[in-house]
Amino acid sequence: MDNSSPILSTSTVLLLLVAFYGFTLYMAMRIRRRKENADAYMTAGNGVGFGIAAASMTATWIWASSMYASATSGYTYGISGPIHYGLWGAFMILFIYPFGRRIRQVAPKAHTLAEVMRARHGSSSQLLLAGSNVVGSLISLMSNLVAGGALIALFSPLSFVQGVLAVATGVLLYTFWSGFRASALTDFMQVMVMMLLVGIIIPIIFFSAGFPSAFETGAGNLTAEQSNFFSSEAFMHQGAPYIAAVLAYAIGNQTIAQRLFAVREDLIKPTFITATIGYAGMVIGVGMIGVLALYLGMEPLDGDSNNIIPQMAADYLPTVLVALFLIMIIGALSSTADSDLSALSSIVMADIYGQNIASRGKARPKVMLFVGRVTMIVATTAAVVLAGLQLDILDMLVFVGALWGALVFPVIASFYWEKITNLSFVVAVLSALAVFIPVRFDWVPLEITLFAFTIDVLAAVGVGVVLGLMAFGFFGLRAGKITGVLATLLTLPFALGSLHEYTVLSASLVAYSVSTLIVLAMCLRNNRSFDFSTVQQRVGNFDDDDAAQDEKPGIEPVGAPAGAAGKEK
Amino acid sequence: METLLMTIYVLMWPVVVLGVFAVLLRGFLNDWRQARREGHDII
Repeated sequence: MDNSSPILSTSTVLLLLVAFYGFTLYMAMRIRRRKENADAYMTAGNGVGFGIAAASMTATWIWASSMYASATSGYTYGISGPIHYGLWGAFMILFIYPFGRRIRQVAPKAHTLAEVMRARHGSSSQLLLAGSNVVGSLISLMSNLVAGGALIALFSPLSFVQGVLAVATGVLLYTFWSGFRASALTDFMQVMVMMLLVGIIIPIIFFSAGFPSAFETGAGNLTAEQSNFFSSEAFMHQGAPYIAAVLAYAIGNQTIAQRLFAVREDLIKPTFITATIGYAGMVIGVGMIGVLALYLGMEPLDGDSNNIIPQMAADYLPTVLVALFLIMIIGALSSTADSDLSALSSIVMADIYGQNIASRGKARPKVMLFVGRVTMIVATTAAVVLAGLQLDILDMLVFVGALWGALVFPVIASFYWEKITNLSFVVAVLSALAVFIPVRFDWVPLEITLFAFTIDVLAAVGVGVVLGLMAFGFFGLRAGKITGVLATLLTLPFALGSLHEYTVLSASLVAYSVSTLIVLAMCLRNNRSFDFSTVQQRVGNFDDDDAAQDEKPGIEPVGAPAGAAGKEK
Repeated sequence: METLLMTIYVLMWPVVVLGVFAVLLRGFLNDWRQARREGHDII
């Protein structure tokens, strides 16, 4: 594959895009109703079945970068590389399901996690979560448009900008009218296409490229670390930082929370388990293409590791399958882009208009729908402009990731612990962010032993927080505490003197530990308590009872619109 | 032996994916049948 000869003609790519987005739009239009409903636009009435919910959760978790990054990990770190990307990402879906059940129990009719934080604490906590999601979803949307534009430009004579515009228009068209319902239903179709193609394409590339015998002839292309399934280098540079980052994403991101609020409550467990296995199979499977490329000694075009998958597809697939491969990636990025649009519109509808602009209890569903649709248009336009400018978004992405990392413990604690307050929530998150930034960007003079020592200790506590939360989710408070303390103590001897050298990892861990320690310090002696049963009285449907009843048979409307800030008693 | 293990290691993921494909398809069809029976949209 080279730059001068596009594999597919302009007309072929246009035909594929029209067919893909046309069929998706057709599906979306079939669920459009004459009678609009703001709650359905955000969470589809909280009663989505297993098939669509699990497919949508899988599709949302997989974006174009998941596939490229997994293959890059395989190419860079060898045979364990895709595991250190895909397996940990998958486990995080599994990890959040116990918390998801608790969140639904506390706020069964919520639309956003930020909305629940307002009912639990107040508007400052809500806006921290909502603000981080607006920035995060916009970045994600832009990244997916960039990936789509780059792929179309690589495979056809169309330019990058034309590719970005094509993807943006396609996604906006089918998501615009029905919001989350369109996003979830089309996610199902997209993920089914993606899964079928992954099931077909990987074995074809495998045998076309001369495997399994290439495992013997190409073994010399791998270093000792790359050949080692238990490579510590792969874990420390890829696996561990990814665990820390993706945990923050799972808890903080509205696209996941939205699906959590949409799925029928009794189906949360099978939905999350199926999405875990589906994500692992897809992402690790595609990552194996990077491992195969490494064995073959392939050099990525222009030195860009994002070209590994397209190159392997172009070199070892027949043209028909290359065209279908293009659709697979377009499907992956579209499913995440439509989730971002739905998430953004829900946040602006529920958190900004519904609770902060409309007077208390006076949010009008029709205005909300209008606000949601305008948000989608504005967000898509902004993402296209940002994609066209090709800005360096790494710093912004790091910042949002850190904010979500800092939010993990305060958010989870807010659903279980009566003592946590709004002030401790905000102070903990902002303090964690203030410590994270200098660590992440190497502003801390690590040659001073005290600083390096402090970071190592905090990072070890961060390991304890992550593992303690995982144990707490599945086995309860006692197991969580024991695991947290043991993990910290066992990590300390290895952390001291070395963990600060892994900047990405230690910065994320420090964000977890600082926010946790501050919440504990500020609230352990707090005598106030909180009645969790009040949350569901404050967070409910926005549509009036009749409309809600008419739109969602079998589901009792809560009646009271969200709008009241929480009060600790 | 190592070649066989690597082959299994690489090709097991598409098999997993196709298994999940079947589970999701069955789940969707069940949802669809139930929605039709109860006279409402699938979503």
